Amino acid sequence: MSEVVLQARAIGKSFPGVRALDKVDLTLAKGSIHALLGENGAGKSTLIKLLTGVHRLEEGELLLDGKSVQFDDPHAAIAAGIGVVHQERNLIPRFSVAENIMLERLGPSVLSRVDQATLRAEAKRWLDLLELDVNPATPVMRLSAAKMQLVEIAKALSLRSRVLLMDEPTASLTPHETEHLFTLLQRLKRDGVTIVFVSHKLEEVLQICDSVTVLRDGRNACQSQPMTGMGRQDLVRLMIGRAEQIPAWETRDRTTAPVALQLDKVSTSLGHQDIDLTLHRGEILGLYGLVGAGRSELAKCLIGLFPLTGGKVTIDGQPAAIGSVAEALNRFGLGYVSEDRKQEGLVLAHSVLDNAGIAVWSKLAGFLGFLKNGQIRERVLPAIERLEVKTPSLAQQVGLLSGGNQQKVSVAKWLAAGVRILIIDEPSVGIDIKTKAYLHELIRALADDGTSVLLITSDMPEMITLADRIAVMDGYRLTGTLVNDRDYPRMSQGIMNLIHGEEQDAA
Amino acid sequence: MQPASSLPLGQPRSAGSPSFVRAGFLGGNEFGLIVLIVVFATLFTLATKGFASPFNLFTLGRTMGIDILIGFSMMVVIVSGGLNLAVGAIGVCAVMAAGWAMETFGLPWPLGLAVCLLVGAALGAVNGEAIVRSGVHSFIITLATMSIFFGGMVFLSRAEAFRELPPAIAAFGKLRLMGFLSPLLLVAVATALVLGWLYRFTSLGRRMLAAGASPKAAEVSGIRVDRTIVGCHILSGVLAALAGAMLTARHGAAIPSMAGHLGQDWLLPAFLAPVLGGTLLTGGKVSVLGTLLGAMLVSMLTNGLLLLRVGEFWVQAFLGLLLLTAVLLDLGRRRLLARHRIAV
Amino acid sequence: MQSMLGKAANTDWFGPLVVVIAAVVVIGAIEPTFLSAFNIQVLLSAIAVNLVIALAQMIIIAIGQMNLSVGAIGGLVAIAFAGMMEVWGIPAPLALVLALAIGLAGGLANGFIVAKTGISAFIITLASLSFFKGLNLGITEAQPFYGVPDAVKAFGNTNMIGPIPWLVLPAAIAGLGIWYLLAKLRIGRQILAVGGNPHAAELSGISIFQTTVWAHGLSGLLAALGGVMVVARLQIGQPSIGDDWLILSFAAPVIGGAVLAGGHVSVAGTALGVVVVAIITQSLVLFHIDPFVVQVVLGALILWAVGINRWREVRVERRLRGAS
Repeated sequence: MSEVVLQARAIGKSFPGVRALDKVDLTLAKGSIHALLGENGAGKSTLIKLLTGVHRLEEGELLLDGKSVQFDDPHAAIAAGIGVVHQERNLIPRFSVAENIMLERLGPSVLSRVDQATLRAEAKRWLDLLELDVNPATPVMRLSAAKMQLVEIAKALSLRSRVLLMDEPTASLTPHETEHLFTLLQRLKRDGVTIVFVSHKLEEVLQICDSVTVLRDGRNACQSQPMTGMGRQDLVRLMIGRAEQIPAWETRDRTTAPVALQLDKVSTSLGHQDIDLTLHRGEILGLYGLVGAGRSELAKCLIGLFPLTGGKVTIDGQPAAIGSVAEALNRFGLGYVSEDRKQEGLVLAHSVLDNAGIAVWSKLAGFLGFLKNGQIRERVLPAIERLEVKTPSLAQQVGLLSGGNQQKVSVAKWLAAGVRILIIDEPSVGIDIKTKAYLHELIRALADDGTSVLLITSDMPEMITLADRIAVMDGYRLTGTLVNDRDYPRMSQGIMNLIHGEEQDAA
Repeated sequence: MQPASSLPLGQPRSAGSPSFVRAGFLGGNEFGLIVLIVVFATLFTLATKGFASPFNLFTLGRTMGIDILIGFSMMVVIVSGGLNLAVGAIGVCAVMAAGWAMETFGLPWPLGLAVCLLVGAALGAVNGEAIVRSGVHSFIITLATMSIFFGGMVFLSRAEAFRELPPAIAAFGKLRLMGFLSPLLLVAVATALVLGWLYRFTSLGRRMLAAGASPKAAEVSGIRVDRTIVGCHILSGVLAALAGAMLTARHGAAIPSMAGHLGQDWLLPAFLAPVLGGTLLTGGKVSVLGTLLGAMLVSMLTNGLLLLRVGEFWVQAFLGLLLLTAVLLDLGRRRLLARHRIAV
Repeated sequence: MQSMLGKAANTDWFGPLVVVIAAVVVIGAIEPTFLSAFNIQVLLSAIAVNLVIALAQMIIIAIGQMNLSVGAIGGLVAIAFAGMMEVWGIPAPLALVLALAIGLAGGLANGFIVAKTGISAFIITLASLSFFKGLNLGITEAQPFYGVPDAVKAFGNTNMIGPIPWLVLPAAIAGLGIWYLLAKLRIGRQILAVGGNPHAAELSGISIFQTTVWAHGLSGLLAALGGVMVVARLQIGQPSIGDDWLILSFAAPVIGGAVLAGGHVSVAGTALGVVVVAIITQSLVLFHIDPFVVQVVLGALILWAVGINRWREVRVERRLRGAS
């Protein structure tokens, strides 16, 4: 193996209530592209933050060129030659492209004069390297998402990073832009730069990476293995701890059941066009698509967070014009488990009881809005028990529970409210495998009991495990619907074909 | 952290466990405030002549009652994650409107009080609607309305006080129960009970807390966050008006300058009480008892320091330092708790 | 093709500038004394002082915070400046330096505590507002200092050239200085970067601590300069100086297009905001309208300006979405 640049040994990190990383090792060879993989919540982002000085290293050791280093802040990591392109945008919106790229190097002292002309010239070099055709003087807020992403990459490159960490760099790029980025990464690699590539898209990983480290539940599932001879299935097995096997659940057909929710040529203020969907009583309808396909956005329009601009929504045969979530819940029995648990799903600072009970308050409120905790408890407890939420008490603050238990509470909320249609968005983001399997059984049981479920997930195995039918979405439009026969290769192929617009193969 | 056993639900945590002591009542702001109140009350009783005299207790109780209400008027908007700089302006505007109505139309005092509270509610509603509709932070909106309300009031009233109010009002302010207790303090305690009930036992109160802690999550859970926020501001207006009414009872007149220029004099007590009491400025957590105790501590310190002949002006500097100390101590406590949770 | 006018209409200063020109023309036509040399001098003195006060707030808005203690620092510095000269007989230039140092120290203390603790600047500066004001009143017992030297009085009340008072000089220096700092110097760019996206700024190695302390220090220094200028203009060290700065200090930057969340302010816009406020105040005096109406107008101006800013933001967003 060639020369090692950066090595992490037995790294650990805990947050209140969560053990994010436990004895994680990572070895990066000079001039290589190294994949860092893992499911959501496996600890990739935490590891990146530790390597780049965003979090302080408290357990374990970092070796740079064989010497132990400690980064106290991001600046120290940058100075040591470790650059990063984070998943979230890290640009100053009103600053120019040049100034954003050169933000670390505006001048030697705080009172130095910032020479915009030099900044622009320097920035231009890096933009040219990426063959990115933007004027360095343009404020970044005027750029498209893809160009902003490339500006961030230019910024990391310009720091002459020896190690460049890229967290989902292709998420907002077109295939063409992605190809271009890969050419660039190969060139950097030849120049001796080490690239850590984090991506959900395994095909991309297989295409360009030389070696791979997989994290699972905060631990190494494999450590810096060469990529040669590895296939997609091997990576998946490492990530989820088993092959993509589908539980031997029988295929269900609910299309003869009464229609619970029907969308007829629906268009929305967020840009959806001509969406036709039918969800039957007791059916699990999957909604698959890539990030940015508009699935969560559609859910948010359906529950009344954003207005529809055309078409008809029918619920249980009644035309439904839903103006607010309160109306969706109280009049139509429609609930939404958000993918963004921390922001939209739960009030983290409040107790389990308050979170699970939030959707029943309006039903239980008596004279002058009087609520009895006992009554709420009565409504909530069956749901909490059914989901086996592990909590010391109902008074426990939700933010202190583990991710899996948090997710259970955010599902329990809607069970307690007795919804008849439940939209579940990415149910297994950031939760452990066991809880995930448990949630799957629960969703299936709910549907068996007559709840209609619209399931949004980017996790293909999850989709094929759970859904009765799968609708595929791309670019805010529906591209087709498949009946799920639980044959993984065939289904995943069919879904991919629908995404890439080759409908002839569709079932 | 407690062992994550499955479902010991509905049972209270064992009271003897160390976590109860740390995170529960004894580690909370309320207990600390009670200790401080007792300590300072003892100190002032020993160090000054008049502190424990019935008359001083009476005037202290009167001030406390008003300060508590002022604190509540801010607390109820802090809960929603916002703030209301216009509390003083609303309080003065409400009593000036009521004073005008009583003097001009000879309204009896209960109707006067009703006018006062209604005006408070209306001005609060103006704030709430402006904030919700514009999507601009409550700070800048209430900064503007504070100027508008107060300027409008002075313009309309020509800065003249209303002194010919029904005598019952002044009599109420002078009333002494058992020789030392001001009914104003009882009004404040009653308000505290109502607010405690609101947050603990009503869906409105719960909604206010949820909307303040996490507006997005609340919205997605079916709470109409906009309406809830307007509700918080209406409540704030009513409480500010009630505080103004109590101040009017103390003065026996509705005076435009009773809350200082633009009502700014109320700002410090308005924030001191909830912050001392442990109400989070980011919203979503409230302590009615803490606010009550915080206001009591502040009024008592002011009173005691004045009796100790610390100049009135230095007391203000002292209160500024007190606010600073309080937030710093709270920060330290929070960090300690957080570290403890990680370590276990 | 976008015309020059169209381009100008998108800037922060265009709206207030139109208002200023229209107001001057209309009021000048109705009441010719409005454009008399004396009135212009009064107007310019008010503008000079208020600009410095507005800049003290603007620099904090730029970093995405607020400073309630601008007035309290100004007041404390004002009485310290006058008091040092009256009680200790310190010569004016030295007193000026010491007074500015007090303001700087006050601002640095604000910044240090805010940056070190991460507690919102609102609550910290509310506390320090009360502390500084208490010091002020404790020292003066609410009595003014009268012993202001003639040179200082002259500076505040005589003209440099024509109808332009001397007070315009420090205000112009402050305005140009802050403009240069924000546009050209690294610290200025850091302040705007932290205001625009603190997380990104920190990941780029910008020290939030250093930047916050700088911004608050500058704010304190400007507030101190404002206090000194008011003493020169009023000719006494009045303890109530600064009491009525709060609304004005927010009104002018907001009228000038400042984004309250931070990251974007305009010195030219703020200056024009100050001019708008001064013209309105002055014309109310001219037309014998109750001066308290000024309060209503100021409040309404803030609401109007945040409304306009919000509308412009939404429009920009919509245009960007259309473009991408």
